Amino acid sequence: MTRLLLPLAAGLAAVLWLAAALAVLPPGAWPARPWRAETMEVPQILLAYGLMPRGVVALLAGALLGLAGGLMQAVLRNPLADPTTLGTASGAQLAVVAATILAPGWLVAGSLPVALAGAGAATALVMALGARRDFAPVTVTIAGMLVGLMASAIATALTLSQGHYLLSLVMWNGGALTQQDWTGVWRLGAVLLPGLVLAALLARPLMVMSLGSGAARGLGLRLVPLRFGVLVLAVFLSAMVSAEVGLVGFVGLAAPAIVQGLGARTLRRRLMLAAVAGAVVLSLADGVLLALAALGGPDLPTGALTGLIGGPLLIWLLPRMRSRVPTTAEEGDRHAPRAPHPGRILWGLAALTVALALLTLIGGRGPEGWGFIAPALRETFLPLRATAILAAASAGALLAGSGAILQRLTANPMAAPEVLGVTGGASLGYAATVFLIEAPGTPALAFGTAAGGALALAALSVHALRRDMAPARILLAGLAIGAFAGAVLTAIMASGDRRSWVILGWLAGSAGRVTPEGALALAALALGLLGALLAAARWLEILPLGTEVSRALGLRLSRIRPGLVLLAGLATGVATMLVGPVSFVGLMAPHLARSLGLVRAAPFVIASWLIGALLMVIAAFGARTAGYPYDLPLGLFATLIGTPWLFVLLLKRSRS
Amino acid sequence: MTLFSLRGVCRDVPGRRLVDGLDLDIPEGVVTALIGRNGSGKSTVLKMLAGQHAPSAGSIGYAGQDLSRWTPRALARHLAYLPQVTPASEGMRLEELVALGRYPWRGALGRFREEDTAAVEEAITRCGLARLKGRIVDTMSGGERQRAWIAVMLAQGARTLLLDEPISALDIAHQVEVLALLRTMCREGGMSVVVVLHDVNMVARYCDHVVALGAGRLVFEGPVSALMTADTLQRIYGLPMTVSVQENQVFALPGS
Repeated sequence: MTRLLLPLAAGLAAVLWLAAALAVLPPGAWPARPWRAETMEVPQILLAYGLMPRGVVALLAGALLGLAGGLMQAVLRNPLADPTTLGTASGAQLAVVAATILAPGWLVAGSLPVALAGAGAATALVMALGARRDFAPVTVTIAGMLVGLMASAIATALTLSQGHYLLSLVMWNGGALTQQDWTGVWRLGAVLLPGLVLAALLARPLMVMSLGSGAARGLGLRLVPLRFGVLVLAVFLSAMVSAEVGLVGFVGLAAPAIVQGLGARTLRRRLMLAAVAGAVVLSLADGVLLALAALGGPDLPTGALTGLIGGPLLIWLLPRMRSRVPTTAEEGDRHAPRAPHPGRILWGLAALTVALALLTLIGGRGPEGWGFIAPALRETFLPLRATAILAAASAGALLAGSGAILQRLTANPMAAPEVLGVTGGASLGYAATVFLIEAPGTPALAFGTAAGGALALAALSVHALRRDMAPARILLAGLAIGAFAGAVLTAIMASGDRRSWVILGWLAGSAGRVTPEGALALAALALGLLGALLAAARWLEILPLGTEVSRALGLRLSRIRPGLVLLAGLATGVATMLVGPVSFVGLMAPHLARSLGLVRAAPFVIASWLIGALLMVIAAFGARTAGYPYDLPLGLFATLIGTPWLFVLLLKRSRS
Repeated sequence: MTLFSLRGVCRDVPGRRLVDGLDLDIPEGVVTALIGRNGSGKSTVLKMLAGQHAPSAGSIGYAGQDLSRWTPRALARHLAYLPQVTPASEGMRLEELVALGRYPWRGALGRFREEDTAAVEEAITRCGLARLKGRIVDTMSGGERQRAWIAVMLAQGARTLLLDEPISALDIAHQVEVLALLRTMCREGGMSVVVVLHDVNMVARYCDHVVALGAGRLVFEGPVSALMTADTLQRIYGLPMTVSVQENQVFALPGS
């Protein structure tokens, strides 16, 4: 069955494309070669210069993304890495968004040069950071994710500030494969061929590198140029796709994983098959949309919907994947020196959080400008502000706590709450409520969100509860669920309905709508999570040492692992339900805690929890004051505050 | 007394049978060496004894009860296992790592008592690491790190120790030290040890009982005195060996 999977899917994609083509023209009326546009009927032109190149572009773009994803996973040695990991696509997106809003004239020649410039700038920044550590995998991954988060936060801010351009941006962001002629085909084809050749040539050194940097050096491999070269190649391949057709998500992650699930063993074979799998997945997604459109359905961006095809496929194949060797620290990935007095850091963080919470409670921006709140207004405004600050801080603590659990549990620096797919499920639940119920109230929205999150969590637990499910596979399952939910969400947004505004506002996160009861409940849950984290501190200390040692010391892994995953999922779901998907905190706070030199489990989790709260207190202040009298998105500020902090820590560490 | 009793034990991985129908009794209170050529299934058997993997077929009894019926923490109090490759322990100090060995006794929440601190101290001292307290384990030398992990096992307070090639990273002085420590613990502390070893002469010197595997089957089982004959060694390693005696010490060298 698995052997026939790719051919079957390819056949299905071809049938779907043909159905769409036949809906345009019966076979007898197809244009004969050589084509001359001036003598052709309109449907003939549509077929020859629209549908035909579109089918080929789907194949080429999918192949490029699959190949780029395979290369990225090999060089970063992380099964969660994909072409978006290094922030390339987000850089391209930011450039196009910025140009659309600030300098539309630059887009006269098409979005390609602008997008390429943006992708190049983002990549240059990541490489500059990575170069300080010999392009060590974990460092490059973190730097790339930070740049990506930063770029997309700025792009979201720009989009929100200039709403009327939204629709065209969503279409570009969603990866529309629509073609007007064959130039896109030639451009992508001209990249794919040399890309495949180079990848085949790099396969052997990459295979040597997979032995670990020590053994690779022993075999005479020069690590730094190889890492740099492979990263540049992968980034270039995916940047060409982003520039040509926009953001096409998930193919780069799913294609190499699918190939692994199909049992490809050697790296060269995996890379080549990843290109094939990527082409098939994207073509199939595009075929489904073409057939839908031919039947009179809406015209949706393909790239956003790859999750619809790739997500279920990946989940189905996961149990077949061999579990991989966990990513261990590579040469060049140095850890922060251990803090001599962790207690002092923790007290400092706690004091800072409380002080800032109090300061932002009484201080801020009002009708008369900056200053402390006027005595007359205190009675009305202080409870409102206190509610918002408490809700934001508690949500931050919940997200950061679940991020800390996941990073310890999986020993993967890319693990974060949104990876569990709970956030995606909750967002989908929110969107469904907005669309299905006329003018829904807060209880209905909360229920819808909770139901969506719970559904995603249930889907994840089915995987987590299977005996001996390796954490890496749980993460992949979560990503697949999240990609699926995200695809549906984008389809809804791209429909251009007015209600999608409500969803976009919620997606950005806000503490403004939380009721006092809700805020108190969040705070109670955050404290409960802290208690649970401390109770689980010994587990979190032992788990990073791996399965064998954990078992030898008597940890009941079959219960502890799913239990911790569910705890993280619940904490994420609750926070998402009330303040929206403010997800970056869950990724950043644990990294910040580690960079402060907090190594042992207990100080690490407490610090992550505190940093989550601290980031969100500042973010709530920024969101409230920067665009006064309007509330700006919370998640945006959390990202804009957190990323520079982590950049500074990364740079400082590499100097010491 | 029988410590482990294996009945018809098999272990399969997709496409291959690693251990094939093993019937075996491992005695209590002695040092048992598990030997054999590379890929003969030694580590697989040791992992099954440690409860890390369940057998694909057959049963393993430990101290009179089927291994699958032990709860993980109860088993960890009785039985400690040292994997062949010890994991990196990011940023942990020696005494913190060794203290992890008290987990089976104190669980996730139990407070550390005096006896726990004493057990950690004693384990560190017995492994000769007292002067390294406060050092980060990842910065220690390979031999020191290996002994730190053995100290974790000692702190665990288990009566049965299972070790997978514990001396492969050690110099000869530390090899002797570790094996002598294991033997002393059996002779004086009434403990039992099962250890995967490659060096036949170390086996002859420090072990009491020998189990030899070949291609997942039992090739030889018996007291160490019966092992050291040219014929048996040839059967185990497929290589002619010369056995000689000098000053009451038996030793074997390759070649005939």
